[in-house]
Amino acid sequence: MIRLGYVLRDALQNMRRNVFVAIGATIAVFVSLVLSFGALVGNEVVASNTGQWQEGEHIAVFLKDVPDGITSADHQSLQAEVESWDEVAEVRYVDRAEAWEEYQELFKDSPSVLELSDSSVVPRSIRIKLKEIDSFQDIQFRLEGHPAVRRITVQGEVIERLSSFSKTLKRVAVGIAVIQGSAAVILIANTIRLAIYARRDEIAVMRLVGASNWFIQIPFLIEGLIEGLLGAGLAVATVWFSLRYAQDNFTLLEFLKIEVSPGFFARQGFFYLVFGAAAGFFGSALGVRRFMRV
Amino acid sequence: MIRLEGVTKVYKGGTAALRDVTVEIGKGQFVFLVGPSGSGKSTLVRLLLREEDVTRGNIWVAGKDITKLPRWKIPQLRRSVGTVFQDFKLLPGKTVYENVAFALEVLGHPRGVVQQQVRQVVELVGLAGKGERYPDQLSGGEQQRVSIARSFVNRPPILLADEPTGNLDPATSVGIMRLLDRINRTGTTIVMATHDHAIVDAMRRRVIALDHGRIVSDVNEGSYDDTMTHRTVQAPAATPKPKAPDIADEVAAEDKGSGEIAAEEGSPSDPMQEAVEAMQTHRAESPEEPTT
Repeated sequence: MIRLGYVLRDALQNMRRNVFVAIGATIAVFVSLVLSFGALVGNEVVASNTGQWQEGEHIAVFLKDVPDGITSADHQSLQAEVESWDEVAEVRYVDRAEAWEEYQELFKDSPSVLELSDSSVVPRSIRIKLKEIDSFQDIQFRLEGHPAVRRITVQGEVIERLSSFSKTLKRVAVGIAVIQGSAAVILIANTIRLAIYARRDEIAVMRLVGASNWFIQIPFLIEGLIEGLLGAGLAVATVWFSLRYAQDNFTLLEFLKIEVSPGFFARQGFFYLVFGAAAGFFGSALGVRRFMRV
Repeated sequence: MIRLEGVTKVYKGGTAALRDVTVEIGKGQFVFLVGPSGSGKSTLVRLLLREEDVTRGNIWVAGKDITKLPRWKIPQLRRSVGTVFQDFKLLPGKTVYENVAFALEVLGHPRGVVQQQVRQVVELVGLAGKGERYPDQLSGGEQQRVSIARSFVNRPPILLADEPTGNLDPATSVGIMRLLDRINRTGTTIVMATHDHAIVDAMRRRVIALDHGRIVSDVNEGSYDDTMTHRTVQAPAATPKPKAPDIADEVAAEDKGSGEIAAEEGSPSDPMQEAVEAMQTHRAESPEEPTT
């Protein structure tokens, strides 16, 4: 019954008439969402990295060898002991040949280093995969006094730091979304109020001739929705391009893979678009309500 | 068509604008509401549109008690009640056509219907050929015609006019009254609040006089003076303006001339006839109407 085209044209006309106000509202939504969405995506980058480490081996125990009076029998007994611990998921013995391969891989860009070394310099080790990463400190403590152990390296610290960083980021994302989101809602409410004020004569006539409240309000609600959607779209696009830029330009930080699965990005991006549109709609509903008492 | 029963309206702050008003206005009647400023005329108009709520009493419009109308149904009431005001309330950024079309567009009518009806009603009010003009390119009388066209384009059964000639000179007012008279002949009930003695005297219609929120007289085929004799309060001088006899003649002549319109209007299938008639009227009036 009510023509969508008419209503939509009306909303766009409104925005054109107050183009700076509309841009302002859009930017407000953009700023509020780009920070929050950026933090969320940043968190995902970190999470996917910790995930990778969590997948891998957490503790490397480098072993003493024959010169220190330790035999491969000692190695085997240590491995058996570690395997018996409850926290441990998997233990792998890395012999000299395998270790040498790793070494070569690690220094493949530095031939001079490789020239100076051979397989005899690389120590044998056992690699431990934990069931729960949190238990790394206990394991480390137990292994430290063992006679066959030369040195222990633990990924756990990095993991822990990253996961706490990720938790912080998540909180920051939510906090920003809440604070800036409400700022955007209020700004849109004010924008819509301005738009209503600019058209008060028209609205008075509409009421006079018996236009339904819904018909009077809907262009303003659509205007808010468009502004919210545009702002959110800008925010998602900005984060996307920033991510691409970071991928291309921060390749030096090899330990941190700047990568987010497209599925995650699409899902969260869509959520933010909906959130932006909803914020715009809600904001304009707030602005409209005051003025629309018949 | 309109019935008020014991209607009292007290504004915030305790000003009583209407006190226990009971009156009935039949379908197709043309009624003048007269009375000094502050007598409650405008309040009555506002109550009929539900722009204000009654303090006590009931108002029936077209068989419905509008004092009990839920808020969301108020627009429906306003669709059946056309309104014309002293200050025209035209949108300056829209042309004559657009101003009139706006009233239909915002009710969600399809474009084809809007165009046809707008053309028809613009011709009816005698503004054919001026459809593309903006309000500031029109005289006061022409602007009021646009406003009447807008209020009538939806063919409401009731038309409320609050001082429609208040801003117009006597000669222009005659044209407006002719137009309202013609609309009345289509069966539209018209309630017009006015101060204009000459018009009231010339039209010889029902006159309801209000004073201090009460009906002090209600006379069929009355004049402004009739109402004065019942007045208890000192009113402004009620001597007819010298112009009055002319206006009476003109309106009377128009009455005769457009006697068949009532029949015509019953069948809206004859827009050509209507248009021709409207244009003739327009041509006849043009010399009198000063273009500002």
